[in-house]
Amino acid sequence: MKFIGVDIGGTFTDVVFADTETGDLRIHKVPTTPDDPSLGMLHAVRELCERESIAAAEVGHLFHGTTIATNAVLTHEGARTGMITSEGYRDILHIGRHQRPQHYSIRQEIPWQDRPFVRRRRRLTVPERITPPAGEVLTPLDEEAVRRAARRLRDDGVEAIAVCFLFSWVDPAHEERAAAIVREEHPGCFVTTSAAVSPQFREFERFTTTAMNAFIGPRMRDYMNRIGDRMKEAEVSAELHVMSSNGGVATVRTVSERPVVTLLSGPAAGVLGGRWTGELSGRRKLITFDMGGTSADIGIVDDGRFAEATARDTWIAGYPVLVSMIDIHTIGAGGGSIARVDPGGGFRVGPESAGAAPGPAAYGRGGTAPTVTDANVVLGRLDRDYFLGGAMALDEAAAGAAIGRLAARLGLDEREAAEGVIAIVNANMANAISSRTVQKGVDPRDFSLVAFGGAGPLHAVEVAARIGIPEVIVPPYPGITSAVGLLTTELRYDAVKTEFQVSDRLDLARLNRDLTSVEAGIARQFQDDGVERAEVGFERSGDLRYVGQGYELRVPFPAGELGPAETRELFRRFHEQHRAEYGHVFEDSPIEIVNVRVVGVGRTPTIGAPRAARGESLAAARVRTGRGTFRAADGELADVETVFHLRDRLPVGDPIPGPAVVLQRDSTTVIPPGSTARADEAGNLIITIEGSP
Amino acid sequence: MSDSRTTTTAAGIHGASGPGAGAADAGGGGIRASGNNGRAGGSNRRVDPVTVSVIQGALENIATEMGHKLMRMSYSSIIRESEDFGAGLVDAGGQGLAESAQSTPLQSGPIPGYVQGMLRQLAERGEEIRPGDVIMHNDAYAGASHGPDVAFIVPAFYRGRLVGFAVTTAHHLDIGALTPGSCGIVDAIDAYAEGLQFKSIKVYESGRKIEPVWQLLRDNIRASDLVVGDMEAQIAASRIGAERFVALHERYGLETVEAAGEAAKDHAERLMRAAVAALPDGTWRATTFIDGYLDSDDPTKKNLPLVAAITVEGDEMTVDLTGTADQVPDRPINMPLVGTVDIAVWLTVRSVLLDTAVHGHIPVNSGLVRPIRIVAPRGCLANPVFPAPTIARFCPGNQLADTVMKALAQAVPEQVSAGIGNLNVIAFSGLRGETHWVHMEIFEGSYGGRHGMDGMDAVDTLYANTRNNPIEDIESHLPLRVRRYELREDVCGAGRWRGGLGSVREFEYLDDGGGSVEGEGHGYRPWGFRGGGDGQPASLVLERADGSSAGLPSKVPHTVVTAGDCFVCEGPAGGGYGDPLERDPAQVLDDVLDGYLSAGTAERDYGVVITGGDTLDRAATEAARAARRS
Repeated sequence: MKFIGVDIGGTFTDVVFADTETGDLRIHKVPTTPDDPSLGMLHAVRELCERESIAAAEVGHLFHGTTIATNAVLTHEGARTGMITSEGYRDILHIGRHQRPQHYSIRQEIPWQDRPFVRRRRRLTVPERITPPAGEVLTPLDEEAVRRAARRLRDDGVEAIAVCFLFSWVDPAHEERAAAIVREEHPGCFVTTSAAVSPQFREFERFTTTAMNAFIGPRMRDYMNRIGDRMKEAEVSAELHVMSSNGGVATVRTVSERPVVTLLSGPAAGVLGGRWTGELSGRRKLITFDMGGTSADIGIVDDGRFAEATARDTWIAGYPVLVSMIDIHTIGAGGGSIARVDPGGGFRVGPESAGAAPGPAAYGRGGTAPTVTDANVVLGRLDRDYFLGGAMALDEAAAGAAIGRLAARLGLDEREAAEGVIAIVNANMANAISSRTVQKGVDPRDFSLVAFGGAGPLHAVEVAARIGIPEVIVPPYPGITSAVGLLTTELRYDAVKTEFQVSDRLDLARLNRDLTSVEAGIARQFQDDGVERAEVGFERSGDLRYVGQGYELRVPFPAGELGPAETRELFRRFHEQHRAEYGHVFEDSPIEIVNVRVVGVGRTPTIGAPRAARGESLAAARVRTGRGTFRAADGELADVETVFHLRDRLPVGDPIPGPAVVLQRDSTTVIPPGSTARADEAGNLIITIEGSP
Repeated sequence: MSDSRTTTTAAGIHGASGPGAGAADAGGGGIRASGNNGRAGGSNRRVDPVTVSVIQGALENIATEMGHKLMRMSYSSIIRESEDFGAGLVDAGGQGLAESAQSTPLQSGPIPGYVQGMLRQLAERGEEIRPGDVIMHNDAYAGASHGPDVAFIVPAFYRGRLVGFAVTTAHHLDIGALTPGSCGIVDAIDAYAEGLQFKSIKVYESGRKIEPVWQLLRDNIRASDLVVGDMEAQIAASRIGAERFVALHERYGLETVEAAGEAAKDHAERLMRAAVAALPDGTWRATTFIDGYLDSDDPTKKNLPLVAAITVEGDEMTVDLTGTADQVPDRPINMPLVGTVDIAVWLTVRSVLLDTAVHGHIPVNSGLVRPIRIVAPRGCLANPVFPAPTIARFCPGNQLADTVMKALAQAVPEQVSAGIGNLNVIAFSGLRGETHWVHMEIFEGSYGGRHGMDGMDAVDTLYANTRNNPIEDIESHLPLRVRRYELREDVCGAGRWRGGLGSVREFEYLDDGGGSVEGEGHGYRPWGFRGGGDGQPASLVLERADGSSAGLPSKVPHTVVTAGDCFVCEGPAGGGYGDPLERDPAQVLDDVLDGYLSAGTAERDYGVVITGGDTLDRAATEAARAARRS
């Protein structure tokens, strides 16, 4: 089968072609066309096909990672949105959890108050109310009121409507009926219900997610239509799937209805790309580390499975989002992060970034602030003439001057200041990794760090050494790892239902019934996509907590009917997991099953290793030697002779002792003293760290 | 203490000394809290700025991990949802090194004070601190914020030497007071009536659990399964913090960690000094009032003034609370000087001068508050004398924070908000068989208008930053129904930037039970600023199932309720900022379209004429405003 993956980022659109029969893998990179990303996308696909003599019509699948939804949320440019909600609760979206985002601030903004998805004038209430636990109707739905509200919103020019009723996760009937009435009254409108978006308790978070879904809905629907048109024009008949935040792909239909599932599309593809990279070299315990210009994304893959974020930890642009997402920890640390001395004399790096324009001082585009990239230049870790494959010459003098000014304020010499910038940013990233590993009872010493993005391989070894990770893997094309990740996804749908059952009085019949019905719902989704049930793998799990707690842990459930023996086992697992995550267990406490979850996974395509170019000998790969500055074992900074190699000429298997630098078009890998790199058969660069500092 | 004057600092209480002692305490017998002399030793070893930054990041990371674990493990909604807990690291001398990014300021802020109080008490009793000890502390006269906020303190030893403490604090659901719950205990007559007092009690000694103490807790606390579970969670989180803190020493060595800790405090101190130095020298005074007990016949129990005079001299600030009402000896609205008053002052100064939205992340440690001195006469509401009760000090303390802002407003008018609406807390409770259920809900206030920005609507205010409980969680687990939760319409402080809106929340009982209330702000309107109108006070009504209803004051001791009874709480609206006649008419129209204001109010308060409910009449507006101005 032939696949194409297209990952559209802010600056570049990456295209990867893979043929599963021949194991062929080709890549292409073009500038993004921000006004209409679909234009650049199809343009790039066409270029790649022409260049590589691929018949566009033979490409069976096109996987797409998009930031359309994310950008709409970040820039707050979306549809004119209305909301119909339960009478008495008009302002759930506005009051939120009544907590301020910042403790110590008078002049802060509150995203949901200052930039609401639905202004209050378009939040209309209707009489209706159901109650827990069984969904008893306290107030019947006033259908006429819904009709009036729908007309009013229609007349107000609303393009999208969120229907959000309390306790709709217990029984969605009122929401569904109201949505049907809205569709009758306002046929062209994008209509979404909170139970369809995420049938979980916690009304502020669910309503916000639903309002966000409505806000970005029309835009995503239009975008999907445009891509469809352009594919037709380009005679690309491939089936289009879109990357979603849960690590799978979804169909155009699903994404058009629930665009919120794509919010972490790009970073999720990165984690998958990191997983693919590690598995090519036989590694199944991986920490993915994607560092670019402004931020670094960290993900965990354990035994081939990626960690999922818990529902309470998923936020975007300061708004909570209650949908499944890969657990990706993003911190504001990248090549463009600015180093500064604060008014108290403290040495800080980030989160402010020089971005791409003006960018680091070394870019020579007028930037004067000292950045992480400038520090790397001063330390001799970046090659002046081989940055971006030579597309941009680095201005070493400007980098030196920027770092020099910083050094003067700190009372350090220039190299000490530069190394300090790197040490601080690396420590921040190591802390971020430890929050997802050590702090959750996961020992990072069992893992490999997969480093990609433009800046990941520059920093990875020092970051890994800080927390005892013994090995770093750099993929063959670090800059397009996310696009490759797209090709390794599977069709993946997940569903959740709030259960609220307690271990000492379990209604097993209800539990099994709910699991079955959630699973059936997913099976129907696959069926609609033309995938047979037999081809779908189901994974069940539950969100469990001790009765009284407010945070849940995800515990895998076995397949099939749950009896007393199975539930005993899963409660035992919960205790175990609780101890691992928190270091404590409440032996005697009853346990509550808060949500049940089912993930359906379609068949996974397997793509081969890329045909990485390789050379005959290390000597042939050597470009030059230069001065590299590293901290020696005695704690002092030292200039040491550092060998610069070209990645695509590295021979397989020969040890490359640090200090060394490996250059390639889309990234630079630093191998500090004490570490050794080897290119392996799969095309990866494996760096072994001998002894952490 | 030999002298009736004492000095409290970020580092604890000392005998009076130093320049200026007595200068500002007109009544004699003042306590002063001052920071300058809290500087611990200073570092002998110079440490480079990179290492300081790296170690400081590591310390914050540890504190945040502690907070994260406590919040996720704990049982009571007051901890896990309201986030009424704290976590932090303190050095061996009792100086704060880092606090958790989650948590609420009134919990993390007092942690160094808890440790200092504990150190003093243990020293007085000749008790030693050993590896494996866990110490429980809640003495409001020895650093604790108030009785229900119990600290569990775990000492960290590195190579046999005490290097510091990992501490969690949390508001416990019940602490064995006279009525169920740990808020709304508004009729406690002294410290003994407030519940159990833990004066530096070891609950583990050298790793061995002291079972009788735990039995005592289980026997004397309502809903003890939850409370004891939360205490265990606190200990687990504190132990992890201590473990990580020791590991940090193993990695960097004792000298480097100590020196970096000192340097981090010095750095924070310099940040605050620079911020204070940016103010003009001078003195600014402000007074606000608390309700106290509005239904009391005793005039010394109600309408009580809080007074703050802020003096800036160079890079130091003195906050003098002289003039604040005398303590109420037999009602628990007195505020511990260390643990509540200091936090209220620091919180406000810090939020105004080093506003996170303006200055980014500022490290929180004891160095930050060294330049701030607090003076409070002994025996006033802000410096009570044992055994005056303090359990219901939450809302008065928040009012004090507002008073400090009102004084600061004169120095930095563009960095403050107008008057802030205070909070109400209700403890709901009942019996299921022989077991209590208790639920505490904090009702939101609102902020005053700000320069260039309207006030924040319906949020927790100032030193409190808790979260509400989802309606869908409450109703799934408790015999309560939330009948309504919305913004309070057409009630707000008018201004060029209007005050924040309050909320309306209604809680109905589905079973018989009880309720008690501690709140503030029913009697006084949040202050308007620079021509802005005053806000509106809060109100509370108990609607009975039989159709009767009664307006309630802001303090209600435990009251029996029956199924169908309902508390209706209308939150306060913050004060307005600037002349309402200067508000952009388009913004007033927006407020009308959004239902925040009625067209009538728009015309009355803003001189903005809106016709047909949605159309701005600019000419009529200009005329109305001109007429108003002349």
